[in-house]
Amino acid sequence: MNTMFFVMTVASLILLTVISPDSAFSIMISGAGSAISLAVKLCAIYAIWLSVLDIMQKIGMSRALDKLFSPITKRLFKGESEQTRQYITLNFSANLLGMGSAATPLGIKAMEGMQDGSDKATDNMILFMVINATSIQLLPATIIGLRSSYGSASASDIILPSLISTVISTVCGVLLAKAFSFPSKRKKKTEITLPQPLKGAKLK
Amino acid sequence: MSKFILPVFIIVVLIIGYVKKAGVYDSFVEGSRQSVKLILEIFPYICAVLIAVELFSLSGLNAYFSRFLAPVFNLLGIPSELCELVVIRPLSGNGSIAILENIYKTYGADSYIARCGSVIVGASETVFYIATVYFSTTKVKKLRYAIPISLFSCYLGAIFACLLCRFI
Repeated sequence: MNTMFFVMTVASLILLTVISPDSAFSIMISGAGSAISLAVKLCAIYAIWLSVLDIMQKIGMSRALDKLFSPITKRLFKGESEQTRQYITLNFSANLLGMGSAATPLGIKAMEGMQDGSDKATDNMILFMVINATSIQLLPATIIGLRSSYGSASASDIILPSLISTVISTVCGVLLAKAFSFPSKRKKKTEITLPQPLKGAKLK
Repeated sequence: MSKFILPVFIIVVLIIGYVKKAGVYDSFVEGSRQSVKLILEIFPYICAVLIAVELFSLSGLNAYFSRFLAPVFNLLGIPSELCELVVIRPLSGNGSIAILENIYKTYGADSYIARCGSVIVGASETVFYIATVYFSTTKVKKLRYAIPISLFSCYLGAIFACLLCRFI
């Protein structure tokens, strides 16, 4: 992440110094400014969803959801507590329904539950992030709305290709994450101190 | 139909909560408190990422970078008109929506390019944003292979998106 951040900002700044030096600083400020307006917006959305979540937990609704999905989540995320699994299930449900902003606070809580105290992401954390990052949304409602507002005759004809595309990317992500977690698990069992697999990956 | 789901869901939760004496008001106070805490924790990450993304897209580096990568994307079946979108998609949600709107204006919302772009945006996520925000409250500093796998899978999805739009 550090390398990536450095390359992006320095390369952009050098380019800006050459073509329009006076706008460089204002662009940085506008970036920070959009972070503030985004944070305010997110704070409002999270306040609602965390409140609803709190009630759902009190009335046992999230436990019921967990029971429904536990055959899948138990297999995918081995060794996680029931509480963490509940957050994972709720995060997936929110994502499936296309409520990405409701899914984020749940995802953060799930991640907190999965950490093992070290500074390295665990296999389950990576799997969880990959599933979130490859999107599991059933209906791209925002895009359909946007398309019809630009005069599309059949705005919803992207539903099927989107669904297939997102299933392909998610399945590919899960398989890869499982494949990569295999050597690290074997290493733990046999306790051979091998050099880290994929040293290049941690740079990003 | 789908616009009813959200309010109805919240009404149901509220009614069950009230009947079961779960303290609905207390829950909203607690939820709002947690929200403020959470935002304070993730804000520094959002801010740093957005400064970099804003510089990247407004400096024009994004356009140069996309032009540079265009031959590679063409080879994989992604039209060159969509390169900029594909490059910005994992970095910024708002940025990719803005580019998509531009595509709708330039090529028409029902063109092949526009449909491909819609599927690419609709079927993927802001990978780097998720990577920073989801891990922000944990001690984790090393994401190991998380980002490469996510990016690879998303690009595979994008390639298939362009392929599927030809037939469907």
